[in-house]
Amino acid sequence: MLRVPSRIGKRTHVRGCRRQAPAYHLILEGILILWIIRLLFSKTYKLQERSDLTVKEKEELIEEWQPEPLVPPVPKDHPALNYNIVSGPPSHKIVVNGKECINFASFNFLGLLDNPRVKAAALASLKKYGVGTCGPRGFYGTFDVHLDLEDRLAKFMKTEEAIIYSYGFATIASAIPAYSKRGDIVFVDRAACFAIQKGLQASRSDIKLFKHNDMADLERLLKEQEIEDQKNPRKARVTRRFIVVEGLYMNTGTICPLPELVKLKYKYKARIFLEESLSFGVLGEHGRGVTEHYGINIDDIDLISANMENALASIGGFCCGRSFVIDHQRLSGQGYCFSASLPPLLAAAAIEALNIMEENPGIFAVLKEKCRQIHKALQGISGLKVVGESFSPAFHLQLEESTGSREQDVRLLQEIVDQCMNKNIALTQARYLEKEEKCLPPPSIRVVVTVEQTEEELVRAASTIKEVAQVVLL
Amino acid sequence: MCCHGLPVGGSPSSPGCFVPLIQKTGGLLLTAERGGRMNVGTAHSEVNPNTRVMNSRGIWLSYVLAIGLLHVVLLSIPFGMYIFLHTVKGTPFETPDQGKARLLTHWEQMDYGVQFTASRKFLTITPIVLYFLTSFYTKYDQIHFILNTVSLMSVLIPKLPQLHGVRIFGINKY
Repeated sequence: MLRVPSRIGKRTHVRGCRRQAPAYHLILEGILILWIIRLLFSKTYKLQERSDLTVKEKEELIEEWQPEPLVPPVPKDHPALNYNIVSGPPSHKIVVNGKECINFASFNFLGLLDNPRVKAAALASLKKYGVGTCGPRGFYGTFDVHLDLEDRLAKFMKTEEAIIYSYGFATIASAIPAYSKRGDIVFVDRAACFAIQKGLQASRSDIKLFKHNDMADLERLLKEQEIEDQKNPRKARVTRRFIVVEGLYMNTGTICPLPELVKLKYKYKARIFLEESLSFGVLGEHGRGVTEHYGINIDDIDLISANMENALASIGGFCCGRSFVIDHQRLSGQGYCFSASLPPLLAAAAIEALNIMEENPGIFAVLKEKCRQIHKALQGISGLKVVGESFSPAFHLQLEESTGSREQDVRLLQEIVDQCMNKNIALTQARYLEKEEKCLPPPSIRVVVTVEQTEEELVRAASTIKEVAQVVLL
Repeated sequence: MCCHGLPVGGSPSSPGCFVPLIQKTGGLLLTAERGGRMNVGTAHSEVNPNTRVMNSRGIWLSYVLAIGLLHVVLLSIPFGMYIFLHTVKGTPFETPDQGKARLLTHWEQMDYGVQFTASRKFLTITPIVLYFLTSFYTKYDQIHFILNTVSLMSVLIPKLPQLHGVRIFGINKY
């Protein structure tokens, strides 16, 4: 009882003066102040600056280095040194090195290159707009013809929206990296064309190649990915999966098994990008491509990309699909935002070509019949085998037995091509950037069928190739 | 996938009128090499603008002001800073580098991973200064001390260069 007042007194006495900071706190503050001083005086440095080479190793590498010649030695028969000169348009009859030949090399499937209506539309547009647009789409480079063409293409393909690129190669090479980024996975066919390969390289994604048209191999890869995903569901949730295929493959002339692909798409939750450069304006009842050929709903395919340089006989390319998908490319498609837009005369020519395609849907059946005819006629050549579908207008003739070296094969095929040229049949070899291709196809002669070639011309071509092959490949 | 958080420090272009004030106050102790305006909505060659946010003009002042405004609720500041700097990953906009920074937090993206730049030093020292202030205000009380020290450590430790890109127990990895 006596203690309480004194304790109260003590407490009030203590509260009067400032509370002293505890020792551990002062130590911590001291450490923090030292830390601040250290921070203020530390230099900036980049992480991972260290290289794994010692100075001596670097010196050795520099000693060893031999500069390559600025102009490397090339063999005399390099194709870049022996080119053919074409005078006039590469239409049905092409003038090569002064000689008029029948064109079996240009991708003019519907013969629209020389069509007077298309040429008139292009001329009218040239008079109205001039030649170039002098700007990308976002910077005064959008003309009404561009919007018109996008609208027409979307309506023709029965999709919500379409987007135009000014260069066919850049179309798929810009479309793929717009959606697929680092950390995403793309399953692509081994026979994919060079444009797709460049698009994949630009996307920095994980690429998984499956054997050409082998759905079992693709399913195996998808299953492996699924197992990986189950092990790490959080990573799987942020990973996007894509399957990139072509409708008609340029390198082999075969068609992709789209119904199975759509089934795999829904089973393993991947998105399909379909490259229809060779099948647009060729397959299907109305020329809508491989989806119409198989009768698949176009909404099942997430993105269709095609170039207008084959059947449409224009320049450039387009992508079509749902608005939600295509709209993304208007800001993320590098070839769309950072390249000048398609010259209006070419857009007008493409619109007129579309008009012609819509007015005569019968030409697709005619083309198919011609393809079948020449495909049959070219069977049974000794030494050459036909690679490609019977309805593919661009197919390959490969050597049945390779000589062992690629240069020798190329030389043999070039001999065949040259002799056919002497007999007024213009053919070409399929050319590749041999060091850049991921899966280099074997050397081949690429034969292209167009609606303008008459039956007798087809027969003559087949017999010419047969004779020449027999002479050369004996 | 990209985060949906806002860039830290509010809009960098708004306190433009305060810029002369900063320059006149002679800057802070730090040898700051503050960058120009962040070119929002214009063409620029910066691959990932997120790395330069903390260098843009006026952002340090907006940061201090925001902290001052939130000073009323002391605990929310380190919590909020931790979320924005060390939890949320990626960028709220598309970048032309094909998603290089998709798995990196804002702290790791700053200045493209270069350590001990001016902004990084500023953002490390400010919580320490705040800590001094708060421990002074709470009169060094024990419970407050524990809470403040824990929150300070949780904000300081992820900023160490040894912890660049480190995800403990795989938390927040993807």
